[in-house]
Amino acid sequence: MNPQLAETSNTLWNVAFLLYIVAMVCYFFRLAFTKVGVDGLPVSSRAGTRVGLVGTGLALGGVAVHAVSVVQRGMASGRVPWANMFEYSSLMALVAVAVGLVVVQRRFGYGHLMGFVLFVAVIAMTSALLLYAEPGPVVPALQSYWIKIHTSAAMASSSIFMVGFVATALFLVKDTAERRVAGSGASFGGGTVGAAEAGADTLAEGYEADSGQFEEIASATAQRDVLSPVLFPVVPFLVVGAFTLAVWQLPVATLIAASAAALLGAATWYAVPLLPPAARLDNLAYRVIAFAFPIWTFAVMAGAIWAEEAWGRYWGWDPKETGSFFTWVLYASYLHARSTHGWRGRRAAWIGVIGFVALMVTYYAVNLWVVGLHSYAGV
Amino acid sequence: MTAEAPARPRLPEIPGPWQTAVRAWRVLRRMSTALVLLFTLAAASILATFVPQRPLVPTTVEEWLAGQAGPGAVVSEAFDWLGLFDVFGSVWFGVLVALLFTSLTGCLIPRWRGFLRTLRKPPPAGRNLERLTHSVELRTTLGSEQALAAAAPALRGFRRRMVAPSDTASGRPQLAAERGRAREAGSLVFHSAFYLLLLGALIGKAFGFEGQINIPEGSAFADTRIAYDLARPGRWFGLDDHRGFVVRLDDFDVRYYANQVPRDFVSRVTVLEDGREVRRGVTRVNHPLRHDGMKLYQVRFGMAPHIRVRAGDTVLFDEAVMLADAGGGVWTGAAKVSLGSRTGETRGPQIALDLVFLPDAAVNDDGVPYSRSPEPRNPRLIAELYVGDDLGLDRPAPAARFDRAAGQVLGPPAILPPGGQAAMAGGTLALEFAELRTWSGFQVSHAPGRLLLLAAAILLLGGLLPSLYSARRRVWLEARPDGDRTTVVLAGVALQRKPAFVDEFARISAAVRTALEDPA
Repeated sequence: MNPQLAETSNTLWNVAFLLYIVAMVCYFFRLAFTKVGVDGLPVSSRAGTRVGLVGTGLALGGVAVHAVSVVQRGMASGRVPWANMFEYSSLMALVAVAVGLVVVQRRFGYGHLMGFVLFVAVIAMTSALLLYAEPGPVVPALQSYWIKIHTSAAMASSSIFMVGFVATALFLVKDTAERRVAGSGASFGGGTVGAAEAGADTLAEGYEADSGQFEEIASATAQRDVLSPVLFPVVPFLVVGAFTLAVWQLPVATLIAASAAALLGAATWYAVPLLPPAARLDNLAYRVIAFAFPIWTFAVMAGAIWAEEAWGRYWGWDPKETGSFFTWVLYASYLHARSTHGWRGRRAAWIGVIGFVALMVTYYAVNLWVVGLHSYAGV
Repeated sequence: MTAEAPARPRLPEIPGPWQTAVRAWRVLRRMSTALVLLFTLAAASILATFVPQRPLVPTTVEEWLAGQAGPGAVVSEAFDWLGLFDVFGSVWFGVLVALLFTSLTGCLIPRWRGFLRTLRKPPPAGRNLERLTHSVELRTTLGSEQALAAAAPALRGFRRRMVAPSDTASGRPQLAAERGRAREAGSLVFHSAFYLLLLGALIGKAFGFEGQINIPEGSAFADTRIAYDLARPGRWFGLDDHRGFVVRLDDFDVRYYANQVPRDFVSRVTVLEDGREVRRGVTRVNHPLRHDGMKLYQVRFGMAPHIRVRAGDTVLFDEAVMLADAGGGVWTGAAKVSLGSRTGETRGPQIALDLVFLPDAAVNDDGVPYSRSPEPRNPRLIAELYVGDDLGLDRPAPAARFDRAAGQVLGPPAILPPGGQAAMAGGTLALEFAELRTWSGFQVSHAPGRLLLLAAAILLLGGLLPSLYSARRRVWLEARPDGDRTTVVLAGVALQRKPAFVDEFARISAAVRTALEDPA
């Protein structure tokens, strides 16, 4: 134990948290300074581009500072820095932001989505803050090299699923907008409308083939107009507000959380025409989830091997085991649904959303509210 | 008008049993059926997470059924009837798994067949190459055959075949190439591994054994069915399958961190066979001891004060009493000191001991004793003797459940340090806290089929990766004489991960172009 290191680690953690928040705000500002050009492509004003660059820089800085903080915490406690819920949640946020920057922004070129990725990461950071635990050694059950394997794999895949969830949720919104625009006949081209139905792979292809030219030219406001500007902030406000009130019974915290959700809802509504076409979002979601799924599979298997070594049985339907199992089943269903006629597109996406909810239930609810063998770890 | 409509039979035709079976099989083979079954599986598991499960928390289930917790006795009764308190042991869960495996089988058989067929087939010839999603025309000075031969090495990683002009639709020579069979192969291996997984799990269930036992330091237990406090034998793990070796707990050690969280607990044990010591070893959390196909796991521990009770010169009781953690560093327990006797000359009452143990005793401001830490820095045993004609000690129930109301407390409780003695009941009984010992709780497991499960796990992952990341591609080159030159049509299709093929095709066409310009 090294209290000095622990303290610096905490300071850096706070800095990283702040950087993520400011980066998120920058990315949303970038959206606000972005319009749909005549060719249908989102065009940022100079200010938008600049603020976007600042956001990227801050997010990168956040990741770097956060990583140093995590390493220091590990050194301070003389073990891997993912042994309790604070550390695990915090690392989930770190990996999610890193994956967002590398995959979503760099590889796929969807910088507009980063505000949403950061939002989810900030939620994970907030949950970490609420579950804060002093750095320290761990109980004998966790003293095993399997914590390096099982827990890190579970954590990494959870964070990638998190990014997948952002893409899935945005796909559902975008797809709704595209369908409604197509239904009302307001669109001129409508090339990717209903693309998800016909198979995202097929239609995204033509799109990629001609070097990023949009086949669709929908007017900027058309996709916004078909979505309710009232429901988008109000529904998240009520849902998140009710949830926060039920869990914490703190009116102020409830108001803050609900307002943040409402802002996010409004930002989503505003961002709809600027988002990549539904088929591409669907493809992004699939690629990200298909990347995380084998890691999750491995995490569950490694968990079974560890359980065999620690508790004398490899599978005992302990709440955590059961939770990881149904999460696995739901994501497996997502992958199957995506290649099944009549299920791909919206239905598959909804399964992906349910899978993510299951993942969160497995992580938070099972740890905090259900008594099981995983009920430890400095919660 | 309606009268002119052809007369229809009032009832639809009743399908015969064969037709029904065929229809059911067809429905089961559908992917949507598999998806619905998977959802049901997920839903069942979600229920099992939030409804207490009898194999895990039997007391919570009892509380639900009694209406003391949960949604009330009536709902709990319905839950019980539906098997929701033991989802994974219920009949309907078994049926669900059976249906899933039937669906899997129905899906896999034709796919394996198709896959094995394609294994033998060379890449097929292409037709209408210009109409494919990706195609490009290249020119070269080489002749048709040479051009194709020169371009072949550019298609690295592809299975290739020269197709004679007589075998193509266009009547021109082709080079047909294909890759990405690992996708289907991986998917088949992944799905087939579930049979291995099931087999391994069933073998473990049928031939495995799990037993739990708590013993104080210095004691031993034999690996026999009756020795265990709790035994969960598989259906075919018989009494004779127990090894019969003896495990003696020589010493148990627990260490704590400064914040009173256990740091490590270690049991030093000796294994004896036919009275001979065959193995000495330690078992700790995460480090089980293996012996003769059985594994000994460290799972629990506790305090076990050694207590002696004497009536004059007669020793009534001389044992280490295993105490249970009552929370807050306090340990409680009870012991059956004397079962009494209602007949004969040695007529005597039943005597029971009620014990509270504080490892680091202190008294708070309100005068209530408590324990400052879990470590035995200032150990104190608080003992009360109960005497009565029928305390229920002869019932086969744990000592802690003796009938306190039917007895009489003998004097004020004795508070003893280790080695301390107290005279109770006006000096007729002597109580001695002889020594502070600990007890250790073990799980003994025999889990056959584990290697099978490990193999299944490796196959699952090994199959999953290519099934997700490998993608099938077909590429053709067709040579068309064009004066003294040759036009080579390069065309390709991607069957999966189509967006990624854009770049791949560009790379391939660049490589082919180079090969045609500069035949090495």
